[in-house]
Amino acid sequence: MNKLSLLAPLVYIAVLVGTLAVFSNLYRKRKASKAASLKPWFGPHYARDVYLTLLHQETSKVPDTILKAALLRRATEDIRRIIALRQAKGSLQQLLQRGSIGDDLWTRFTVAEAEIEEELRDVVLEANAFKEGWGNTIFQTANEMANAQRIRDRTDEVVEQAAAERAWWDEKRKRSERELLGESNSDEDGVLVEKR
Amino acid sequence: MSTDYNYDDKGQFFPYFILTLSGLVLVPLTYSTFAPSKRPGLSKIPLLKDSTYKPPNGDLIDAARRRQAKRERRLKRFTSIIVGWVLFAYMVYLIATAAENVEGKIWDPYDILGISTSASEKAIKSHYRKLSLKFHPDKIRPTENQTVDMLNLHFSELTKAYKALTDEEIRNNFVQFGHPDGKQAFSIGIALPVWIVSEGGSYYVLAVYGLLFGILLPYTVGRWWYGTKKHTRDGVLMESAGSLFRIYDENTDEKKLVSILTVGEEMKHVTGGKREKEWIGSEEATIERKIREAGVPERELAALQELDGWQRRACGLLWAYLYRVDLGSEKLENAKLDVAPAAVALNKSFHAISLAYSNTLPILASMSLNQSLVQAIAPDYSPLLQLPNFTNEIVAAVEQDGGKNHWTVQRFMACPDDKRRKLCVGQKLLSEKEYEQAIYFAKNLPALSIEDAFFKVMGEKYITPSSLVQFVVKCRIIPPGSKAPVIDPKDLLDEDPEETDVDALLGRKSSRPSQSKTGEEVPTTPLAHAPFYPRAYAPSWQILLADAKQAKMIVPPQAITSFEKSTDNFAVQTFKMQFQAPPQPGEYTFVMHCISDSYLGVDTRRSVKLVISDPSKVEKIIEEDEISEPDEDSIVGQMNAMRGGASVGKKKAVKSHDSSEEEESDTEGEQAVEESETDTDTDTDEE
Repeated sequence: MNKLSLLAPLVYIAVLVGTLAVFSNLYRKRKASKAASLKPWFGPHYARDVYLTLLHQETSKVPDTILKAALLRRATEDIRRIIALRQAKGSLQQLLQRGSIGDDLWTRFTVAEAEIEEELRDVVLEANAFKEGWGNTIFQTANEMANAQRIRDRTDEVVEQAAAERAWWDEKRKRSERELLGESNSDEDGVLVEKR
Repeated sequence: MSTDYNYDDKGQFFPYFILTLSGLVLVPLTYSTFAPSKRPGLSKIPLLKDSTYKPPNGDLIDAARRRQAKRERRLKRFTSIIVGWVLFAYMVYLIATAAENVEGKIWDPYDILGISTSASEKAIKSHYRKLSLKFHPDKIRPTENQTVDMLNLHFSELTKAYKALTDEEIRNNFVQFGHPDGKQAFSIGIALPVWIVSEGGSYYVLAVYGLLFGILLPYTVGRWWYGTKKHTRDGVLMESAGSLFRIYDENTDEKKLVSILTVGEEMKHVTGGKREKEWIGSEEATIERKIREAGVPERELAALQELDGWQRRACGLLWAYLYRVDLGSEKLENAKLDVAPAAVALNKSFHAISLAYSNTLPILASMSLNQSLVQAIAPDYSPLLQLPNFTNEIVAAVEQDGGKNHWTVQRFMACPDDKRRKLCVGQKLLSEKEYEQAIYFAKNLPALSIEDAFFKVMGEKYITPSSLVQFVVKCRIIPPGSKAPVIDPKDLLDEDPEETDVDALLGRKSSRPSQSKTGEEVPTTPLAHAPFYPRAYAPSWQILLADAKQAKMIVPPQAITSFEKSTDNFAVQTFKMQFQAPPQPGEYTFVMHCISDSYLGVDTRRSVKLVISDPSKVEKIIEEDEISEPDEDSIVGQMNAMRGGASVGKKKAVKSHDSSEEEESDTEGEQAVEESETDTDTDTDEE
């Protein structure tokens, strides 16, 4: 009896501390795995992959011009990404405060932000390796390239739309011409003409 | 004393305990379940009281509505309420029967003697004598089911009662302690039945406690917490909102939005996930073939073909819903009907996201897609399709190649009746009865007409920089085809509330309570007429201000869900939205959008001009005629100080500056007066 009374509190504490430890361990592990399994904000960065592949080509030396072009492409993609992040940040904070989006998205966003910072620094270093001082201007160039691309995309869209509209109006003109000349043989029009 | 606790071995007090506890839970629960909804204007009344129109596949839509109603019925809650009340009633029954039990009954000598409490001592004595003659054990013999002991006991009871009422000492005892023998043993009881604390039962009790606090409590709390974390404020899953945010693009139009909305997890529940296995490849092909035949543009089909799996199916079904395509099989039809409400929910989330970005294009796209989803009309198609029985062929006959600007219902109804008939009644077109159904709806369509819209600052003539501006919208409902009376110009004025009406001055919503005080009920807005949408939908209007040049939203939309006056007789309704004026003086041109979320072709766009006056000039004008400057001690003055704190502060600063200048040199002061005079002159000229 005496022994049991001494053992009881020890067992109690051991069980309590043990469960808490197990719980915290599991919880943290789950949280870490969840954070790791979050989808990255952006998809794969192909421009960077292309540049790095070209740079580490061992069999044949890639000419500098191609490397520079690849680096510029990479910087353009970075610019696109950083603009997207900048635009998203304010709205994201606002939505997070109101509870319209979840914390996960914010975690993903901060990860993407940290990643892009690193990426920018790396590009500047690479640019400076080609020519001292290029790192200061490469992003200006890249920004112009990105803008030009955006405008080009929009104009393409407009051209496409214009063709479709043209076709529609041409058809309409033909139809009304037929109607006006009283040559319409189509059913729906026929009914209308009869009723009049 | 601790050993003296009595457990409730006769089950006498335990019912009271249970009764109180269950009552505490049941009454609020029952009230909250059955109480009428407090939200004003929310109703379940359909727009058309006796609509005979049935859309194609109407029984499937009705079945989907019934399924939803069943889901909303909260079966668990109702059963638990019923079980609770049954328990409650049983406890009441237990208490009622236990009251007859002698034990625990208050000892009452009058009751035992069978006389009234007002009887005098003399009457008591004579009554006792009569009773003793009647009940003395020596006088009577026990009947069949009585023993001598019982007779003795009864008589001694009578004697005790008599003594309690006559003998001075015993009477004192009775008055003080409630018992003729003096102070009784004091007993404290615990309202728990004995079996709970008896040897064998204690383990069960422990187990119940363990279950309750160790498992059930953490489980419910956890479920509630993770449940709230699972859904956003707009009622979609967190993951869906995240995907929508990622896919947001400032060039989103309605058609792009259709495929954007299919990224949500809600869509996955309909067309993928657990139900992935139910889908066969041929069904996908069927959907895509049918929507191609229905006329979904090539660009959207190409976008659809870039998608995969459940998202592609969802996108196909959503297009099928918007084009009102009959998919043939019941399963596909049901899936199509499930996709639509999911799309509306996701669109709400997308709308919230687009508001945060404040680009006008996606905001307007999400609003107009909402109309399309509720009415099942594809983007860029005619609003006439809202009318019952109207199909693309009939619309084509009515519009007669009207180009890409489709007819609205208003335009259609503005035609005289015989012309309308000529347009759409006939062979291959509508029958007479179908035409009547269509016109019946058209005459009830709640089209909001904006009569006036202006800016003002409460209690001020001019709008100064950074002040709190009110945008006042005067509108009324004019159903298409009806002749609205001319508006009384008084209705278009917005008069400031009286200075004593502090609530109104503070901008509290006093208009509604005051109306309910006068007994006038807040009119209820009927549900939207949406025969193709498989849910009941409460319509609303959104008013927002945007800058057309920058394509940015300036003032976020405010929803109109109910009207302050009855909409039946063209009453003019007033809506106000407040915002902070820009800090620079000048003229600002905004575009006001008033957009319905459930009907097509009833939106209004109007250009409004906000004139911000230079505070120093306004100050001079006001100094000229001191009338319009509210006294600083008055409520209006204080209100101004609270509202446009910055502007008033500025004005005061200007004022003090002026006066100090005046003190320094008279000439400058004169100049200032002259300037102000010229100002007022020009102003009157303009008027």
